[in-house]
Amino acid sequence: MAKRKTRRTARRVKDKWKSKRWYRIIAPDMFEGAVVGETPASSPELLLDRVSEITLQDLVGDFSKVHIKVMLKVNGVRGGECITRYVGHDMTTDYIRRLTRRRRSKVDAVIDVQTKEGYVVRVKVLSVTDKRVNTSIKNSIRLRQEEIIKKEAKKSTLSTLVQKLLFGKLATDVKKACKDIYPLKRVEIRKSEVLLVPSDEDVEFKIVTDKELESEKEEEPSEEASEEPEVEKPKKKKELTKTEVLEMFQEIEGVGPTMAEKLYDGGYKSIKQLEKASKEDLLEVEGVGPSFSERIYEALHPDG
Amino acid sequence: MVKWGIAHVYASYNNVLITITDVTGSETIAKATGGMVVRQDKDQASPYAAMEAAKKAIDEAKEKGITNLHVKVRAPGGSKSHSPGPGSQAAIRAFARAGVRIGTIEDVTPIPHDTTRPKGGRRGRRV
Repeated sequence: MAKRKTRRTARRVKDKWKSKRWYRIIAPDMFEGAVVGETPASSPELLLDRVSEITLQDLVGDFSKVHIKVMLKVNGVRGGECITRYVGHDMTTDYIRRLTRRRRSKVDAVIDVQTKEGYVVRVKVLSVTDKRVNTSIKNSIRLRQEEIIKKEAKKSTLSTLVQKLLFGKLATDVKKACKDIYPLKRVEIRKSEVLLVPSDEDVEFKIVTDKELESEKEEEPSEEASEEPEVEKPKKKKELTKTEVLEMFQEIEGVGPTMAEKLYDGGYKSIKQLEKASKEDLLEVEGVGPSFSERIYEALHPDG
Repeated sequence: MVKWGIAHVYASYNNVLITITDVTGSETIAKATGGMVVRQDKDQASPYAAMEAAKKAIDEAKEKGITNLHVKVRAPGGSKSHSPGPGSQAAIRAFARAGVRIGTIEDVTPIPHDTTRPKGGRRGRRV
């Protein structure tokens, strides 16, 4: 009985899936409109208020920012693209836990600040002192933090404030300013949340369909024509550079940088070519032994 | 373009639940559990069950066009265990072997700053 039921639901889901369309999520201007990812929806109204989380590394390409997650909320649809706004950031738990140690004090502060345009942002600061300190020092550090962050927020717009929060400008400011109270080991802006969007900045959820977009384009063809859906088609066969191929090879289990290089020099220029190769073919490559060829082969053909 | 998804892996000591969603987490693409792939209830949380469930989920997700995955692992959390069960490792491994690219792997166990009283009473569970 139960089996039949599940089969039926599975079929229904599949049908629903076909009617869905993928929308691209575009980051706000402060991140130069980078593409965050794609989300499927059966109708564009359903996209409203979806929050996507992306690491800052993916957004700006800075490897040292893997632990910072940026939250973006959908508040508009243009054709196949979702327009988003910044709603906050967070850090991964493992990063935060690494900071807090024994025999050191942790000073947490939650500060509500207002930006120039009237955004209210909740900023959570975490600082770790060099040694264990008593409560009075903690309190004065907390007060100083609040003072600095409020002052800084007042003179910046949301986008500049976000830059300062995410890229560590505010954290270093706090660290410097608190030095004379007690030396701080680390200061991090642990979290931020946009609590209030000022009424004149608050855009209503708007859906611009493909047709409307096209007619818009006809009116002013010079400006936007090149930008919109044409981007969707990626270049089909792009010539991969050596480093790219090497990186791809290293993702195979058991292949390190040296082995990747050997495989590349042995004439394999893409994963596909490797997949086609048999164990014996792999043995031909200089520097590849029988056990290694077997390992690669199995990693590439997990089904046997 | 590469399509990212998020694999939510909930690994308790009793079962493994795998849900693959889009990047916003609001659209489920595939789901599978340890209980769907093994016969005996005691095996639901086993690494083998996790592996099979992960394979099952990933096959469906691949069919729907997902090529890259972020993984979010969680344990029961709250007043219960904070460390993921035996299935979490196996599930991640299965994802990697299935040929999808894995981005970040993150622990998202809900950890309270305070907590309600854990069950079991003052003298603990007496077995």
